[in-house]
Amino acid sequence: MSRSVWKGPFVDAYVLKKAEAAREGSRHEVIKIWSRRSTILPQFVGLTFGVYNGKKHVPVNVTEDMIGQKFGEYSPTRTYYGHAADKKAKRK
Amino acid sequence: MPENDNSELICVGVIAGAFGVRGEVRLKSFCAQPEDIETYSPLTTENGNQSFTVTINRPINTGFAAILSGVKTKEDADALRGTRLFAPRDRLPSLPDDEFYHADLIGLTVIDTGGETLGKVIMVQNHGAGDLLEIKPENGGETVLLPFTLANVPTVDLGAGRIVADPPEGLFQGKP
Repeated sequence: MSRSVWKGPFVDAYVLKKAEAAREGSRHEVIKIWSRRSTILPQFVGLTFGVYNGKKHVPVNVTEDMIGQKFGEYSPTRTYYGHAADKKAKRK
Repeated sequence: MPENDNSELICVGVIAGAFGVRGEVRLKSFCAQPEDIETYSPLTTENGNQSFTVTINRPINTGFAAILSGVKTKEDADALRGTRLFAPRDRLPSLPDDEFYHADLIGLTVIDTGGETLGKVIMVQNHGAGDLLEIKPENGGETVLLPFTLANVPTVDLGAGRIVADPPEGLFQGKP
């Protein structure tokens, strides 16, 4: 069952506060958060969050297509080390 | 994890055993597009002693049913179980600017804009929010994940085997 629309998206208050502080300051930093359950809001676009996965903070660069997802979706708690083979990485 | 000590060879798959009784093998591909393993053939073993031309017959549950040159019977195929297959690095197609093979990035030394060594790239990860370089700090300790962006990694010099990084504040312990 989906969440009622009238409630709006859930975001932990401290995440909003930290994001606001980061937007005001022009420092290039990773915003460390532990709230994996918080929804990614439009005002987070362009910021980099370090989302805790139980062991470390995984950097998540927020882009427009992530809006509406939860932070935890981008910070897996289990890591699979596959083979590099011909896999490619793109610098954006 | 680094693929192999010999940086010219890249592990692209493994023989998982025989498939059926007619000399076909069960081939597991590590490529981004699994069927691309065929295009890199002939593939060699780790020590380069054996070379196989790969012909993929059909996809199966855990990979491909394939025919390898020189493998005629089920016994031959069973004997190769667990054999990793390697392709020469130069057989991979060239990439546009700002795109790199994981195999090329792994092992590069990471230095900051001041010229100080931060560590070595040990893995490239992507969890849906862009590529991340996993860096093992030079002074030991926990690995650090650095977003692979133009802002954070302004220079990648494959020839010199180094990356110039401008990491966000507080990412590396002990760095401002």
